[in-house]
Amino acid sequence: MTSSDSESLPELFLDAKIVMSSDARLLAALRSAVGNLTLELGWSESDSRAITLAVDEAMTNKIRHACKGRADARIQIEFRTEPGALVFQLTDHGEPPDPEKLCARQKGSAVPGGLGTHIIRDVMDEVSYVTDDAGNHLILKKQLPHGSSPESLP
Amino acid sequence: MNVSLRIQDSARVVDITGEVDLKGSPVLRKTLFDALREFKKVALNLSGIRYIDSSGIAVMIEALRESQRLDRRFVLFGMNPAVYDVFKLTHVIRIFQVTETEEQALEA
Repeated sequence: MTSSDSESLPELFLDAKIVMSSDARLLAALRSAVGNLTLELGWSESDSRAITLAVDEAMTNKIRHACKGRADARIQIEFRTEPGALVFQLTDHGEPPDPEKLCARQKGSAVPGGLGTHIIRDVMDEVSYVTDDAGNHLILKKQLPHGSSPESLP
Repeated sequence: MNVSLRIQDSARVVDITGEVDLKGSPVLRKTLFDALREFKKVALNLSGIRYIDSSGIAVMIEALRESQRLDRRFVLFGMNPAVYDVFKLTHVIRIFQVTETEEQALEA
């Protein structure tokens, strides 16, 4: 493919939503989707692995804490492009997160809990927790790699 | 995730392959804790891991603490890029004894 072919490609747009059981057996399928998507959007193998890990950690936290380990709850995952960024929004209807416990662990300490939250914050550019009538939303935003510029819907 | 067990030079060698996540980490935890009760040294082979999340790293931290409690040796070897990236993100690699090869792990 020549560079002129590349320049003529339309910009990528994504606005997808899936709802899945809070069942750890589905995590591998979610990772596969995020991995393929991030590679397609231009991230390196290493960055793609990191983003995939962060989304997996977010999903795992929802299963463990919001859904209390139950496999029969529902978690919604939205993937969408915004100008210059890819956004993942995970929504559940379980226990809202306790702000006191988010990132309470010190980096590098020999304590097993709380690692996932640090990974999410280290990998993503923006992390926000919102609880409203529609549920508990964890919104993860990552700036697109240089050269990608998907546009969101008007 | 698949776990297989070997005895090498009177140490327990645990080979893990595949993906270590929320589904597989309880199995890994039980395997390591059982091995630490039975053997003075446990070497965990990471080379076959394609993916690991923080629940897998947390299990290794728990196993390390258990090894200290029981006065055992717990050594990691065969770290590949997929595993190293996650250790780096969790900032915990310094607490483990890590070697490149199985031979080095058994001598450690």
